[in-house]
Amino acid sequence: MEKHLITFMPDQVSVAVREGTNLLAAAKQAGIDMSSPCGGRGTCGKCAVKVLSGSYDSREDAHLTEDLKEQGLVLACKIKVRGPMTVEVPAQSRLTEHKVLLGSKRTRFTKANDYFATRKMNPICHRYCLSLDPPDLVDNQSDWDRLQNALRKQHGLKDATIAISCLQALPAAVRMGNWDITVTVGTLLGVPKVLTVEPGHTTRPTYGLAVDIGTTTVVVALLDTATGRILDKAGTYNKQSVYGSDVISRIMYTDDHPEGLAQLQKAVVDTLNELIDGLLAKNGINPREIPVLVHGGNTVMTHLFLGIPATWLRLEPYAPAVTAPPVLRAKELELHINPDALVVTIPSVAAYVGGDITAGVLANQITRSEELTLFIDIGTNGELVLGNNDWLVTCACSAGPAFEGSGIACGMRAMEGAIDSLEIDRKTLEAHCGTIGKIKPRGICGSGLICALSEMKYAGIIDRAGKMLPKQHPRIRPGSEGLEYVLVWADESGGKQDIVITEGDIKNLLRAKGAILAGIRTMLNLVQLEMQDIARVYIAGGFGNYLNISDSVRIGLLPDLPREKFEYVGNSCIQGAMTVLLSQEGLAESLDLANRMTYLELSNGNQFMDEFISALFIPHTDLNLFPSLQTECLGSAQATRGEQEGDAERPTGAGGPLPSSQES
Amino acid sequence: MPVQILKERNSGKITSVTLGATAEQGGTRACTITVGGESSLPWLHFEGETPNKPVVAVEVLDRYPEEWNDAVKATYGDAMKDAAAWAKAAVECGGADLIYLRLQSADPELGASTPEQCVATVKKVLAAVGVPVAVIGCGIDEVDNKVIPAVAEACAGENLLLGLATTENYNTIVAAAMVHKHTVIAQSPLDINMCKQLNILITEMGIPADRIIVDPSIGGLGYGLEYAYSVGERARIGSLQGDKMLALPTIGTVGFEAWKAKEANVGADEFPGWGDQAERGILWEAVTAASLLQSGLDILVMRHPEAIALVKKNVADLMTPSSL
Repeated sequence: MEKHLITFMPDQVSVAVREGTNLLAAAKQAGIDMSSPCGGRGTCGKCAVKVLSGSYDSREDAHLTEDLKEQGLVLACKIKVRGPMTVEVPAQSRLTEHKVLLGSKRTRFTKANDYFATRKMNPICHRYCLSLDPPDLVDNQSDWDRLQNALRKQHGLKDATIAISCLQALPAAVRMGNWDITVTVGTLLGVPKVLTVEPGHTTRPTYGLAVDIGTTTVVVALLDTATGRILDKAGTYNKQSVYGSDVISRIMYTDDHPEGLAQLQKAVVDTLNELIDGLLAKNGINPREIPVLVHGGNTVMTHLFLGIPATWLRLEPYAPAVTAPPVLRAKELELHINPDALVVTIPSVAAYVGGDITAGVLANQITRSEELTLFIDIGTNGELVLGNNDWLVTCACSAGPAFEGSGIACGMRAMEGAIDSLEIDRKTLEAHCGTIGKIKPRGICGSGLICALSEMKYAGIIDRAGKMLPKQHPRIRPGSEGLEYVLVWADESGGKQDIVITEGDIKNLLRAKGAILAGIRTMLNLVQLEMQDIARVYIAGGFGNYLNISDSVRIGLLPDLPREKFEYVGNSCIQGAMTVLLSQEGLAESLDLANRMTYLELSNGNQFMDEFISALFIPHTDLNLFPSLQTECLGSAQATRGEQEGDAERPTGAGGPLPSSQES
Repeated sequence: MPVQILKERNSGKITSVTLGATAEQGGTRACTITVGGESSLPWLHFEGETPNKPVVAVEVLDRYPEEWNDAVKATYGDAMKDAAAWAKAAVECGGADLIYLRLQSADPELGASTPEQCVATVKKVLAAVGVPVAVIGCGIDEVDNKVIPAVAEACAGENLLLGLATTENYNTIVAAAMVHKHTVIAQSPLDINMCKQLNILITEMGIPADRIIVDPSIGGLGYGLEYAYSVGERARIGSLQGDKMLALPTIGTVGFEAWKAKEANVGADEFPGWGDQAERGILWEAVTAASLLQSGLDILVMRHPEAIALVKKNVADLMTPSSL
């Protein structure tokens, strides 16, 4: 079949593709990473490009905004190549360099970590410098027996095994080092295995990698496992993103394409290898020096990373293929580290409560005392764990990715230029926004959206149900989906358009926050406890540098508890992966935790739905659940009322507002 | 040995709401009607009070209801061509405690009456009857947001029951009711939480709770009646436990729902085993009403006089405490 040359501008990259190739696929082939949250199904309208010249077939772009149509843009995924083309890919259609939440900036991980507060480090991989007795005619025991004996006698390691590649290198290594040898031993659940052998005694550190495989981003941390020091971190977006932004669309991709699973596995392995290559090169480390990698991720990510079909995770009754996969060798996944390196997966609990959650529970030591602890991970989905040293309940609520800025008109992830805090003047309704990196705003991220919802409610722009109240104000105007509020005018923003919050955005945010609070309430109901019984709350997720707890409570996302009970822990998945990397007992504990967590399926029964509807209100239909907000409720009611009546005479005898209600 | 009756102790009760206003109260009604005030589950006279009996509002349209069943249209005949005459007949021989006037003709597809024309209709109905009147828009928010405020202003002081305020359009209707001293109907879609949410939104505008009647939405017999029953029951239990945002009297469009049912409308020729259609329709409406009386409905919006007569007999029986 005929091939055509497609040139992408302004990169000036060309690629030859077959007649009829989809333009989005061509861009991928040319190494241009385009944004396509819907996975190329033409429903998200994000992969807009400008065709400068050339011939093509295009189907109806129903999902392209009028604005972009006027600029002459078309959706790449809807275009079939019919001849040579030159295409301009605008910045907004590209996956930009991601600023990834790399977790807390503790350089010596073990110092400040909850897990190691009471425990000693005992890394999975340990390096031993051994001096063996040279053989002679009286003692001509094998090299491996000699090494085994030394490990047992000098370090108490019984019944060690050895990788075949090490055995192949062993005879030369011991002789080259004049019977001084350095070995790396990886110990899994008490069974030691020699993973590297080097001649002589080396003083180089022992390295290990901890990895968080997120749906959107992948983060790798390089550690010196002997000291617990974090040497470096790197993160980027998951290359699987081009196949869909959420786990469901990715599973669907693997179902619809015969090579889909392999493609998705390769995408995440490529992502990981790119990060590893960069980290190792930057720090001058040979890939062979990495004997272990511990990774955590949601159950779907784990399945796809290991090349296990995820089809049935999506379908009732949502049974995963595996929750605790076996330890693999790096070569089995083609990772750019020592081929014999151990690849350890943090175990999942259920289809929608993954190893990332087990990792978070481990790193934050939810089981350390009898205090009732709530752990919330707000990412592309919302996962919750409630419990103490006796019991653990967990559930996943389909909160949607609104708090990651997805499905929000001007939403973006927590990176430079994202509005992460704001205030709205109660009288003038003018907004004052703070951004990450203190540059001109380009969009709004999760923590900003929480502030926005709270501020809009208490400034009287929206009512408790999230409906915009009709007001005469330049910032409130009709948009494509109902009314919208202009947060930042185009000339003050870092882009070309006004940054707005639409009624549709508010509905999405309400659903997201409602799902999380409903999940919390449903779990509490199961164990017959109240919100006030919760002693500690850990919040994990990609909100950026901080999460405004007060605003989160004011919108009814988090329970109304004293603010000091909350702690924002950032990326807790990577912390858990590091914990396991540095502690053999931590690995055993992660398996135990995953087994012990009782999974509550929210789609079973109608209690969650009932809680969900009552949580679709700011802060909640039962205002008694938010006692600290009752005075604020009163204030806002009066503001709203004043506005509604305008100049009309207030009727006499119309009693005061009822700020609160009571429910059993 | 005497049987010991276990009594539930309730901390809350339903708010009493008065509809209509007499001359000295600033209106022109001959009488007012008070609903609500119950302090027990429906009809448990030994546990609490039922100070006000449930009442029947007769549904009257401002256009001839072509699409209604002949059995209903036959009741008032030509009087149904004029809202005022229809309302008068409903009060005089239809058993109406109040009139539920739907300004359907404001709908652009059903006549496109102007707000002024609607106001004139309401005035005529008020002049024709002495009972309190509920005035309901055509159901299109943009239209109702013009019609209802106009009616509210023109009939200031009458304490009309204005509707329907929903989550989407409550602002305008509630503001109009507050300024011109009327009561509102807050309608939610068969969901206890949404019902309560709307009541909170409305009271936060500053209207007192005793100026709100709740329409929780109902289903007719065979068409979701059980669901309506359980929402009503949950609301009553919540109210008795002290939830003021649920403790409001309720209204239900019984006639509208019952006469939508296939079973109320198909002829005996089609289903000989089902018996006479007119009688069946009347019973369908009466049974729907009787069932909802058991869930605590305070205002029954009905159509057929014979169904109304049956329901009134039922109410009278229920209001008499059984001798235990």
